Amino acid sequence: MLKKRKKRNDERIYGVLFIAPAMLQFLVFFLVPLGLCIYASFTNWNTLSAHKTFVGLKNYISLLQDDKFWKALMNTVYMLIPIPVYLILSMLFAMACNKKVPGNKVFRVIYYLPYISSIVALVIIWKWIFNPEFGLINSMLRSWFGMKGPNWLNDPVWTKRMIVIMISWKLIGITAIYYLAALKNIPNTYYEAARVDGASSFKQFIKITLPMLSPTTLYLSIVGIIGSLQTFLEVQLFTTDGGRGYGVATVIYYTWQRAFKFNQMGYACAVATLFSLLILIITGIQLKVSGKWVYEGE
Amino acid sequence: MKNKMKRSHIIPFILLCLGAFTMIVPFAWMLSTALKEAKLVYQIPPQWIPSPIDWKNFTEIWSSSNLLIGFRNSIFITVVVIVCSTITSSMAAFAFAKMDFPGKGLYFIALLSTMMVPGVVLLIPQFMMYTKFSWIDTFFPLIVPAALGNVSMIFFLRQYMTGLSSELIDAAKMDGCSYPRIYAQIFMPLSGPAIAANTILLFMNTWNDYLGPALFTNSKNLQTVQVAISTLNSYYAEQTDVPVVMAASLVAILPVLFLFITCQKYFTESFAMTGIKG
Repeated sequence: MLKKRKKRNDERIYGVLFIAPAMLQFLVFFLVPLGLCIYASFTNWNTLSAHKTFVGLKNYISLLQDDKFWKALMNTVYMLIPIPVYLILSMLFAMACNKKVPGNKVFRVIYYLPYISSIVALVIIWKWIFNPEFGLINSMLRSWFGMKGPNWLNDPVWTKRMIVIMISWKLIGITAIYYLAALKNIPNTYYEAARVDGASSFKQFIKITLPMLSPTTLYLSIVGIIGSLQTFLEVQLFTTDGGRGYGVATVIYYTWQRAFKFNQMGYACAVATLFSLLILIITGIQLKVSGKWVYEGE
Repeated sequence: MKNKMKRSHIIPFILLCLGAFTMIVPFAWMLSTALKEAKLVYQIPPQWIPSPIDWKNFTEIWSSSNLLIGFRNSIFITVVVIVCSTITSSMAAFAFAKMDFPGKGLYFIALLSTMMVPGVVLLIPQFMMYTKFSWIDTFFPLIVPAALGNVSMIFFLRQYMTGLSSELIDAAKMDGCSYPRIYAQIFMPLSGPAIAANTILLFMNTWNDYLGPALFTNSKNLQTVQVAISTLNSYYAEQTDVPVVMAASLVAILPVLFLFITCQKYFTESFAMTGIKG
C-alpha cells in the first residue's frame, strides 16, 4: 500500500518536472510578453524616454484615425489573394502525384525547394528575376511578346502582385504534400462503388474527393489566413518604408515600423493587440462556419 | 514494363512537369548567375549557360563577406537549439502522453494556445523584456526561449507517444525502472522517426530565421547566415556584383537542402501526420 502511494507520488513529481521547461517558456516568453503588450498598449511607452504614463484608449483612438493604418489594413487584405490560388493549384498537383506517375519522388523534392529556402534567399532571387531592366521576367516579356515589362520593384501595385505570386509559388509544394497525404487516406472502395454506379470521374471528384479533402482544406485555409495576415518580411525586404505612398505596407509592417523605427512601443502594442484580436475573431468565424461545408466523418 | 507509362498518366505527368519547371527555374537562374563574371550579368538577352564558367564567386564569398562568421554562428545556435529543444520537447511530450499529474489538461491547453497568437506580435514586448535583461546583442534571445521546447514538436510527439503501448511502462516499472529511465531508454528510441522528422523541421526554422537575429543582435561578429547574406545583398546592391550575392544565397540554402534530401522520408511522414491531425 505504501509502495503504491510512493509510485503515484513519483509520477506526479516527474510529470511536473518533465513539463517544467516547456511551462517556464510559456510563462516567461509567452504569458509575460502578452500581458506586457496589452498593458503597454494603454501607455505612451517610448524607447527613448524613461517615463511612461497611462493614457487610456488614446493609442487605439489615434490608430483608428491614422490613414496609414487603414492603407496597411487594405494591403493586408490583398495578401489573402494567394490562398485560393495555391489551394486549387496544389490540389491539382496532389491529384496528379497520387496517380503514381514516374518520377514521383523527384517531383516531391523539387516542390519542396521553395518551402525550405529562407525568405532572405528567396527575396534575393526574386529581386534579381523581377529586376525591371535585366531580370528574367521582363526580358522574356520583351523578347517573346515585344512588350515593356512593369516596374516590379518600384511600382507599389506591381510589387504587391509580385509578392502575391511569390507567396503562392512558395506554398504550392508544401500544400500539395498535405493534400497528397489526405488523398491517400480516402478508401479506394468509395471510388469503386461510384464506378459501379456509373459515376463520371468529374462526378467522383465533386462527390467524393472534394468532401473528403474538406477537413484538410479547412486546416490549410485557417493556417493560410493567419499566415497571410501576418505578411511582413516580404514588405520589409522588398521595399524601403513600405513602398511609394505606403502602397505595399501591411499591418504588421506598420506595427514594426512604429515600434522599431519610431520607438513608439506603446502605440505599436496597441496595433498588435487590436490586430491579434481581429485574427482571433476571423479564425473563430471560420471554425463556426466550417460546420456547413466540412465533412466530419461518420 | 514498369517504365511504360499508362495513357491516363500522360496529362498528370505533363502537369507535374510544368509545376516542377516553375519551381526550379528561379534556382537554376540563381546558379547560372552565380557562375558568371560580374559584367556578363547584364547581357540582353540573358544567357543561361555562362561562358566562361566562373567558379571564383564561390571562393570569393568567404573572404569578401561575413558569411564564414555567419555560418559559425548559425551552426552554433542551431546545434544548441535542436539538442536542447529535442530533449525538453520530448520530455514534455512523454509526460503529456503517458503520465498522470494534476493540472495536466490545463497545462496542455495553455501550451496549445500559444499557437493562436501571431509571433510578430510577441516580438515587441519580448524586445522590451530583453532590453531589461540586457540580452540585446547576445545570443540569449535566439537560444534560451527556443531551447525550452517547441510547441508543435511537443504536440506532434505527444500524438505519436500516445499511440505507443502503455504496457511497456507497466513492465518497466515492475522491473524497478524510474520514469526518467523509461523515457530515456524506452520511449526516446521508440519515437526515433518522429523525433528525426521534427528535428529536421526545427533545424530548418532555426537556420532560416531572419527576424529574430536581425532584431536582437547588431554586432557584426554575431551575425547569422541569414543576416550575413541580407547585409551582403544590400551592400552589393550598390556595388552591383550580383553573382557574389547569388553564390552566397545558394550556399546558405545548401545545408537545409542536403539534410532534407537525405532525410526526405521522415520529412514527408512528418508533414503528412501533423497536417491531418493538426
